[in-house]
Formats: sequence, C-alpha cells, structure tokens
Amino acid sequence: MNPVELAQTTLAAPQGDMSFFALFLQAHLVVKIVMVGLIGASVWCWAIIVDKWLLYARTKRQMSRFETVFWSGQSLEELYRTLSGRANHSMAALFIAAMREWKRSHEGARPAIASLRQRIDRVMDVTIAREAERLEARLLVLATVGSAAPFIGLFGTVWGIMTSFQAIAASKNTNLAVVAPGIAEALLATALGLLAAIPAVIAYNKLSADAGKLSARMEGFADEFSAILSRQIDERG
Amino acid sequence: MRVGLIASTAGHLAVLLWGVVSFPNAKPFDVPPVDSLPVDLVPISELTKLRIGEKDAEVREVEATKPVKPKTPEVKPETPPVQAKTETPTPTPTPAKQPAKQAAKQPAAAPEPEPAPPTPPRPAEPVKAPEPAPAPAPKEAVAEAPKEKAPEPAEKKVAEAPKPVPSVRPRSKPTPPPKATKKKKAFNPNQIAALLNKVDPAGGGTPSASENPASLGSRKGLSNVSMSQSELDALRSQISQCWNPPAGSAGANDLNVRLKVYLRPDGGVDMQPEVLNSSSNPSFTIAAESARRAVLRCAPYSLPAAKYDAWREVIINFDPRDLLGG
Repeated sequence: MNPVELAQTTLAAPQGDMSFFALFLQAHLVVKIVMVGLIGASVWCWAIIVDKWLLYARTKRQMSRFETVFWSGQSLEELYRTLSGRANHSMAALFIAAMREWKRSHEGARPAIASLRQRIDRVMDVTIAREAERLEARLLVLATVGSAAPFIGLFGTVWGIMTSFQAIAASKNTNLAVVAPGIAEALLATALGLLAAIPAVIAYNKLSADAGKLSARMEGFADEFSAILSRQIDERG
Repeated sequence: MRVGLIASTAGHLAVLLWGVVSFPNAKPFDVPPVDSLPVDLVPISELTKLRIGEKDAEVREVEATKPVKPKTPEVKPETPPVQAKTETPTPTPTPAKQPAKQAAKQPAAAPEPEPAPPTPPRPAEPVKAPEPAPAPAPKEAVAEAPKEKAPEPAEKKVAEAPKPVPSVRPRSKPTPPPKATKKKKAFNPNQIAALLNKVDPAGGGTPSASENPASLGSRKGLSNVSMSQSELDALRSQISQCWNPPAGSAGANDLNVRLKVYLRPDGGVDMQPEVLNSSSNPSFTIAAESARRAVLRCAPYSLPAAKYDAWREVIINFDPRDLLGG
C-alpha cells in the first residue's frame, strides 16, 4: 500500500464519525499518549482537590473545637492528659509539643527554667512548620498541572495537525472534509489540556490561600500560648 | 487521599460517560442551496472598439439565436408556392440544402420544396441557368450550406414564420430532409393557430427548455439601472473621436478637464457643457474649450434610451495624457 492509498483510506474512513471515542482512536500514537496523560493528570488533580478540601474542612473544625476547649477555663494539665493519648494535628499538636517541653523541663531534680521560653518557641515553630507542610503537601502538583497542561495539550494538537497535514499532502486533496477530522482530533488534545488545567489553577489558588489562613491561625495560637507559658515561667521563677 | 482518588475517578468516569452519550456525531450544518450565478468575464474593448462594417458584406444569421420549429408536416400552405425566382442562382448539391441559402438571400420569396418524398432531387429548380459546377461567387454559399446541413432549412423557415413558439431551442434534432416543408411569407392567422396546435414536443428542441431561459434575463430584473461600464466606455469613445486636444501646449499634465454634459433623450446636447474644474495652467482655457467643442461636435450620441435617467447628466473627464501618450 503506497502512502497515497494509506492516507486516503485513513482520511476517507472517519468522515462523519466524530464521536468522543472515535476521535481518540483515530489519533496518532503521540497524541493518544498526550491525551491519556492529560486525563490521568486531571484525575490526579481532582483527587488532590477533594482530599485537600476534606482535610482543610476537618482541620478547621478541629481548630475551632480545640480553641473552645482551650479557652473554656479548663486546666492545661488536664487538657494535656486527655489529649496526649491520641494522635493530634494542628493546634492540638502544637499544644502537646509545648506542654511536653514544659513538663520535661520541670521533671528531674534541677529544672531547666533558664531558657525554657526559647525552647518552647522553637518546638512550636517546628510543629507549625510540620503541620503547614502537611497542609500544603501536593498543592504544587496542582500548580504544575495548571501551568503545564495547556502546553502539553498544545503539543498534542500541533503533533496531530502535523500528521494530518502530512496525510493531506500525501492524498493531494485539500477538501475541508479531508482536513477537518484530523484537526478536530488534534484539537481534542488541547481541549483535554485545558480541561485539566483550569480546575487545577482555580483549586490551587483557593487551596493555597486556605492553607495560608490555617497556618496563620496556628501561628496566632502559638504566640498566645507562648505568652501564657512565659507568664507562668516568670511567675514561678 | 484514598477518598479523593476514588471521588475523582468516579467523577471523571461520569463525565466521560456523559461525553459519550451527549457528544455524538456532530450535526451537519444546514446549508440552504444557493443558486449558482454564471459569471462571464468579457473584455470591454470587444463592445467599445467595434470593427468598422462593410456595406456590401454578406448577411449572415447567427445560428444560435434562432429558435427552431419542430417539424410540422401537416401544415399546408394556403397560397400557391412561389417558385424560387432568384437573381443569384444557387447550385444544389443536395436538395435539402438548397432552400437554405435562398431563404437567407431572399426573404421576400421563400422557395417551396414539394413536401412529397419521392421528388426531393429537384424541388426548387433555379429559373436561370443552374450550374452544376459552382462558380466562384456561389462557392461561398455552398461552402456554408453543407456545413449546417439539415437543421438549416428548419431554422430559416421559422425565422420567417410569423411567430413560432419560443419554447423550443435551436439545438434540435435535425428534421428529415424529405419532410421539410417551406412555409410562405404571407401572414395568415389561421396558419398560426395550426402551427401552434400541431407542435409536437418530441419532434425537436430540448425538452428541458423552459419558457424563460436564464439567458434571456431575470424575471425580477431592473429595467432602469445605471449605465454599465461598456456603455460609458462607448460614450467616451464616441466623444474622443471628435476631440482635438491642445497638442503641444506646455504642461499637458494638469490639463485634465472635467465637463458636465446635459443630454437630451435623443442623444443631443441640451445646453452648454459646464467645466467643473479649474487649473492655473494658462492653456487650460483652450483645453476646456476644445473639450466643450468636442462634446458639441459629436452631438447626437447613441445611448440606450431606456436608461435616459442614467445619462441625462454625464460627467466626462478629458485627459490629454490619454491621447498624447503621456
């Protein structure tokens, strides 16, 4: 089969069949890989979006509950005892870390009070950093997909149009009915790229702003708690 | 993370399913059929630079413009057939071709071949000295006659008939020579009726020919339209024949004269043409005067009378560069 016949059969057959799968199946292998990759990226992005959404909602709820308990006038020792048994996140983890350092410093024969305030601050900084990292994990994937997916889709389109123009050159026919299916199939790659990129960009902006807000809230609590503890240290010392 | 992944996969599958269901084959556009418009590119010079005619040129009839009449053998001429009394004897190579030439030459006396088939060899014997061998002068006629064979008698005949049905086109099946009947010139209403009634649609003509052939113009065409470029060009060429531009005057470049000419319906000039522009060139007055003279000198212009509204006032540019080769 010479290239002309090949091009004519491949170009003549798909006319009229422009459904979703038909477009995908007609596409060149490179375009197919691009499309599959973009669909995968979209699935992964949405998984991250759903996951982060749930995580932030849960974290926010936990913070509110912890703050009400913390400011309810309950003794800190008692709160520490109830919380220390389980795995804690965000503000509770912050509180536990600071209290543990406080308790350790008062244990033993010679309490190390002198630089306790710095140690507590450092411990709480480390905890905030760890929690923030947990909140912001995988957000960069969204940013990457948001910026790269259109280009990947464009690459697939360019490649598809290139091959379809080669087929046109081989079939020596510039009829629109010959040109259109190849271009439609190539444009599907750009469509998929945009489909993956647009939600990723929007979600990245929204989620990173939420993560920043949660971190700021934790830092505010850490400062307040640090002030309480340093007052305690000064009163005792 | 597992919850998110499951939710995301499920969502994508749902969207894909929806796409398969409601992203079917593209609906083809409804394109209303557009009548094609035939366009001919005709050089204008063919119309404006007419060849000079010769008075003694032979009259030729253009074949394609004559509607043909299908054979009507039943029609009997009511007046006795006029025998061909031609001044120019035409040789008769074949009996069927002979009347053609005579009909063209002699509209007043149409030859009448006998309709009976057994006697075709000499239906119209020339009165004066029939020459079997064509002399140089008839030669031309003979050369033309055989070319157009059998359809020719039919055409000529119909051209002289009072009014044939216009629905039949000239590209007709040739009428069999023995049946070809010549009708005489005399106007006879009864004969028209006979002709009209006895038209055999299958006898000749293209069956698809409609009453209004497209080439005869549009049904909703405008009768009063602006002048076409060829008509303006024709007027310009008529005027330029009478124009003697001020040759040799200095600075012929800015001697462009614009004249507004008022014309009467008969083509004459109504009043003095107005000079519309002016120039600092001292010989401009001379140029303007020469242009005005040219317009008055060629006065009766032949323009389409139906479009008088369009050429009642005409603005004409006289540019000496066009004639001086500048």
